[in-house]
Amino acid sequence: MLIDTNAYLGPYAFRRLRHNTADGLLRLMDAKGIAKAVVSSAAAITYRNPQPANEELAEAVRPHRDRLIPLAVLNPFYAGWKDDLKACHEEFGMKGLRLYPKWHHYELTDRDCLELVHLAAQRRMILSVPLRVEDYRQRSWLVDIPDLKPADLAPLVKACPEAQFVFVNGAGFAGSPLGQKDSGLPENYTIEISRLTAVLANEIGQLIGRLGPERVVFGTGMPFNYPDPALVKLEVLDAPEEVKEQIRWKNAAKLLGL
Amino acid sequence: MFSLTRRCFLATTGAAAGAVMAGATGRWAKASNSAAAFAQPKSSPVIDCHAHLHHHSSSTWKDSDRKLIEAADKLGIDQLCCSILTPRRPATAEGFRECNQWVAEAIQRFSGRVLGYCYVNPGYQREALDEIRRCVLDRGFMGVKLYNEYTCTEPVLFPVVELAIELRVPILQHAGHSHYFVADQPRLSDGGHLAQLAARYPEARLICAHIGGGGDWEWTIKALRHARNVYLDTSGSVIDEGIIELAARVLGVDRLLFGCDMSMTAGVGKIRACELSPADKQRILGLNMQQLLRFRQ
Repeated sequence: MLIDTNAYLGPYAFRRLRHNTADGLLRLMDAKGIAKAVVSSAAAITYRNPQPANEELAEAVRPHRDRLIPLAVLNPFYAGWKDDLKACHEEFGMKGLRLYPKWHHYELTDRDCLELVHLAAQRRMILSVPLRVEDYRQRSWLVDIPDLKPADLAPLVKACPEAQFVFVNGAGFAGSPLGQKDSGLPENYTIEISRLTAVLANEIGQLIGRLGPERVVFGTGMPFNYPDPALVKLEVLDAPEEVKEQIRWKNAAKLLGL
Repeated sequence: MFSLTRRCFLATTGAAAGAVMAGATGRWAKASNSAAAFAQPKSSPVIDCHAHLHHHSSSTWKDSDRKLIEAADKLGIDQLCCSILTPRRPATAEGFRECNQWVAEAIQRFSGRVLGYCYVNPGYQREALDEIRRCVLDRGFMGVKLYNEYTCTEPVLFPVVELAIELRVPILQHAGHSHYFVADQPRLSDGGHLAQLAARYPEARLICAHIGGGGDWEWTIKALRHARNVYLDTSGSVIDEGIIELAARVLGVDRLLFGCDMSMTAGVGKIRACELSPADKQRILGLNMQQLLRFRQ
């Protein structure tokens, strides 16, 4: 079984996406043997007010809740976010939040962001933080949104030890405090593999060795990305089958309370 | 040791693509399990058109080169077309000669696995032309690698292109297109430059490097549409869904060359995932490059 912790639905502002409806994504998942996917709205990345996109997402996944697990995109500096958090959790049954501090122009350690994270953690919602949406070099002339760096995340995980973070679309953790065994950071984060290497530098192997296999989860970034590169990584990863099973789905299932 | 056989590589690709194209609903069906239902392709080569060995100033170069071959083994890649670049550019003549010497040694060390691009800085015209002749004629290199010392439309490149035509070898040109000035690569070539160069030299065989190497890949593909003698290398870390299908639709599969540029699983995964027929994938994976190599022979 595979659980994808890094998937999306809906349109994206700067490029046409395929397979971005619930039915389309499910077909792609079927073709790739992916049982369940954690999804958020791609449109919400560039909406000023993300809540209508969360509502659209909730509607889209409603018939497929056994397979599509929705996350809300919220901006802690946009009016009414506490109401939106409540609605997303209580009405829509969303399992967590996805945060875009660079796109929504705030810092992860800003007071309002920390308050959002604390409140989400109280609701036992996971916090998914993409380090990028697309490769920075292909950005539109309209925007200049740098990637988050793994080191940017360390103050957040330290400030919110009760929260459970999933860092997606990232690389370079092995060279940052988050990838060290004795960093002094709480063990409240997991790292998704879609941009990590499984051969050559083998960052996945390094993270398994330093943090433990329970701290690494499968994800693809579909439909922004082809899912196969992540599948290939698991196939060639030099790790015991039980470790691969943890990465494929067991770690994610535990995080999501499935 | 886990490895993907070529059969698995292609079979998984085709099964998955077929399932998506057909709107398959087989719940949670693992693509690789469908391999038996997939028409087996005849054996054909998998050639990475864009790879790099490691500069010997790195204390770990030997181990890193070995790891590259091991990765190729795991991923079912038969041959890697390699260059070594100088750590600092613009490269001096001494610098590129040294790099090419190491590539020549690697061709011997990894016999049958490593093919060589001769890397030169066209600014050292006499030395560059001598080096290309030596590498192609005496050492059996398969092509020329140009980086970003000059934009490929600058006249300083023309003698290099003319020599590559004479020797019947392709030129792999580093390229990318961003919608902002790339400060650390002021003379970066893009698909538009390559199309201009191709129009000037229709008998040249040019390869536009790494469509997944960053930059606006849709722009690059469109810019290359009418440049029939420019091939597109699929390598790079960008794995945007649809990139290969668009390239195939606009340029045709005969102009696509499989590559990784050291992003190994990204390179393999893109081809495995894309919605093309197994026969088309075989052309991209190696038959097109094989045809390019035969041109020299």
